[in-house]
Amino acid sequence: MRDQELDAILSREQDIAPSSGFVASVMEAVGQQATTPPPIPFPWLRALPGIAAIAVALGVLLVTAFGVIAREPTAQPTFLELQAVLATALELAKTIRAGWLALALAISFVCVKLSTHLAATSENR
Amino acid sequence: MTAADDQADVEKVIAGDISAFEGLVRRWQGPLVNLAYRFCRDRGRAEEMAQEAFLRTYRSLSGWRRESTFSTWLFALATNLYCSELRRIPARTSALDDIVEPRDPRAMDETYEAEDRDRLVHRAVFALPAKYREAVILFYFHDLDVAEAAASLGLPQGTVKARLSRGRDMLRRKLSPHFAAPELGREAS
Repeated sequence: MRDQELDAILSREQDIAPSSGFVASVMEAVGQQATTPPPIPFPWLRALPGIAAIAVALGVLLVTAFGVIAREPTAQPTFLELQAVLATALELAKTIRAGWLALALAISFVCVKLSTHLAATSENR
Repeated sequence: MTAADDQADVEKVIAGDISAFEGLVRRWQGPLVNLAYRFCRDRGRAEEMAQEAFLRTYRSLSGWRRESTFSTWLFALATNLYCSELRRIPARTSALDDIVEPRDPRAMDETYEAEDRDRLVHRAVFALPAKYREAVILFYFHDLDVAEAAASLGLPQGTVKARLSRGRDMLRRKLSPHFAAPELGREAS
């Protein structure tokens, strides 16, 4: 088959005309869109202190863990030392109430995901 | 249909005059519905996809940076939507290998002379892998203009040329047995 034949066949595609109510239908949808309030964005500003606290806690935990390992580079950290690191981390987490922060963040995340999913589902209907 | 009219309507819509959007819809409904139809070959679905494209256009009007014409931006937005939509819910297509190759091309040639060869070619286009099909559809929709097709697809012209060449090569290979005097090996310019 020649290129010219292919070009000729694919170029003479028959155009279709949009249905008579198409413009009205689009404008109705646009009108609805214009009156719908914009979606609520994720409250990053409010979540920021929590995220920062978790990051700091993780950083402290890592620094403490590396500190223990660095003190005895050749030897493997003993069970007691690891237990001490874990206890320090837990104490720190308790102090900054990391559990509650993590729970709040998880609930927020689930709420946002759920509402996005529900909105998308109702939009597709 | 002028770029100035488009720009004027866009400014009005951004300023809050929603009714000005109707001018844009009236001017571009034909091209957008037809482009969608070339992607899905279903009139009802084409109108649904075009409507969604107009809605997205409305939502993103403030994002048009005037670096390109409104039409180029509109086609890029619509193409992106149509490609995603077709990847999400593919059109009813047949695999390229499902187009049966005749055992004796000369015998089949007579049969296909009586049949609609255009339909066979379009079916073969539809059976191409998505990235080649999209390049082929956009190239012929934009009247053989690679630059326009590339702008709509948001790809470099070289990439579109390569996909077009490969796509047409696949089409020639698949369709040659159905047509007389096969001519292989020519690359798309």
